[in-house]
Amino acid sequence: MHEGRDHAGPPTSGDDAVVVRGVSKSFGDINALEGITLGVTTGERLGVLGPNGGGKTTLIRLIQGDLRPEQGEVEVLGRTPIEARRAGLVGVVGQKNSVETSYPATARDLIGMPLLLRRSAADCREQIESAVRLVDASDFADRPVRGLSGGQLQRALIARAIASGAELLLLDEPTVGVDAPGQRLFNDLLDQLQSMTGVTIILVSHQLRTIAATCDRIACLNRTLHLHGDPSGLTPEVLREVFEHDVADLFVAGSPGGGADAGSEAPS
Amino acid sequence: MKLVEYLLDSGTRSVFLPATLVALALVVLMPALSVFVAIKRMAFLGQGVSHAAFGGVGIALSLGLVFPLLATGWGVQAVVMAFCLAAAFGISRLSRVGGTDTAIGIVLAVSMALGFLLYRVAANGTPPGEPPPPPIEAVLFGSVLAVTGADAVVAWLAAVGIGLTIWLRRHSLSFWAFDESGAEAFGVNSEAMRTMLVVLIAVAVVITTRLAGVVLATALLIIPGASALRLATRMPAAIMWSSLVSLIGVLGGLIISVEFDLEPAPAIVLVLALAYSLARMFGHRA
Repeated sequence: MHEGRDHAGPPTSGDDAVVVRGVSKSFGDINALEGITLGVTTGERLGVLGPNGGGKTTLIRLIQGDLRPEQGEVEVLGRTPIEARRAGLVGVVGQKNSVETSYPATARDLIGMPLLLRRSAADCREQIESAVRLVDASDFADRPVRGLSGGQLQRALIARAIASGAELLLLDEPTVGVDAPGQRLFNDLLDQLQSMTGVTIILVSHQLRTIAATCDRIACLNRTLHLHGDPSGLTPEVLREVFEHDVADLFVAGSPGGGADAGSEAPS
Repeated sequence: MKLVEYLLDSGTRSVFLPATLVALALVVLMPALSVFVAIKRMAFLGQGVSHAAFGGVGIALSLGLVFPLLATGWGVQAVVMAFCLAAAFGISRLSRVGGTDTAIGIVLAVSMALGFLLYRVAANGTPPGEPPPPPIEAVLFGSVLAVTGADAVVAWLAAVGIGLTIWLRRHSLSFWAFDESGAEAFGVNSEAMRTMLVVLIAVAVVITTRLAGVVLATALLIIPGASALRLATRMPAAIMWSSLVSLIGVLGGLIISVEFDLEPAPAIVLVLALAYSLARMFGHRA
């Protein structure tokens, strides 16, 4: 099935922010991930690329501690994923269309929401302000969420994710629906963020351009790890293998909720 | 104003004081919930839950043939509350499979059908000579002017309980209301938040329905919050605006109804609607 082009060496140095060792995860009879091994060096920006249903979000949720692997283990900043998240070391930015823009809040209120879960408003003020400065949100921090542009909302969401001092930032499809100038601004923001805080970033996308242009290393996922390394390894062959070869597979077994049945019962 | 005169007159006070106290309890009960309902688009959950009261009444009266205690005033209340909570959970569960509007439609229709059938069973089963059960519609279209002091106490207890619950969980509830998946990533239990909101809405709606009717319950659950979202840019201000709109609607409607000898609930609804129009006119776009 897969001519495993596994370029990933074993995770080596002790200063890896994230270590994924031999991880497999399935949902029912659908294997989302098989035998994934990769390390994310502290301070690097790793791009996770792959088709829809290729296991990108599953990998992120394993690192977040939302899911547990059936095989293998995940280590985040030297702890279990759940411990790391409880310690406020992991910031997550989901797709920005999950927010209710009719909610009455300013950008600053939004940034403070996770902090307020644990501390009083007075104790949070300083952390909120430093997060506002980190993403250059000062000029729109008092604007209501409904009045923010897409890019501003995204900045605020990133500030929210790192406000508690996160050392690992997980970004799931951050540039969907963002135009080219917006993507450049976004990359500048990540550059600035990493140079100021040294935060490790894992960025998930199915948009090749977002990832190839801006990440230190790339992991190509389609159930198995097809490539883990420098963006220059993204040859047309690899892309064809990751995106096309398995797109056909998806129609048979990849779509959850009866896709497999429909495929096997359909007259050919 | 006649309302004030009646409240000061010792002869009419016993009717108008409980009514006013209940009306003011509703102003505490609903506004904060209303804001969350508007944000999470759960308006029709209230509709489904309030109509489930029919089913509750039918069950209480028919079981009352065997256990007379259940057919008394408080017995019916307890069964209605239990059944409406069950309906709220039913809606919440069904909506995960087939969509919220479908779930509400099914629960609403089934509750009303069950209520009317069981009411008939209860009426037919009443031994000759005994008074038949009161018409089922009467339970649903309560009247603020017919409430007692005990009703006022229950309404205030519920109002304080709901207010306190929201206050204690305000940070997780707000985070969840703003961004469910984001809040989950920070450890907020999304399912628990939804359940909490559903329970609070069910309690508030059942109490309001009994005291003031289904129409007013729906209006008070929806209009103040929807108005507030047009007027406020932050949560505390939104809850203040929602409370103010409720207060204006309830007090204004009550005064008008007493002044001109009209039904209070429709008068309150119309004043609320006027407040909402003003909010739309002068507020920002939602």
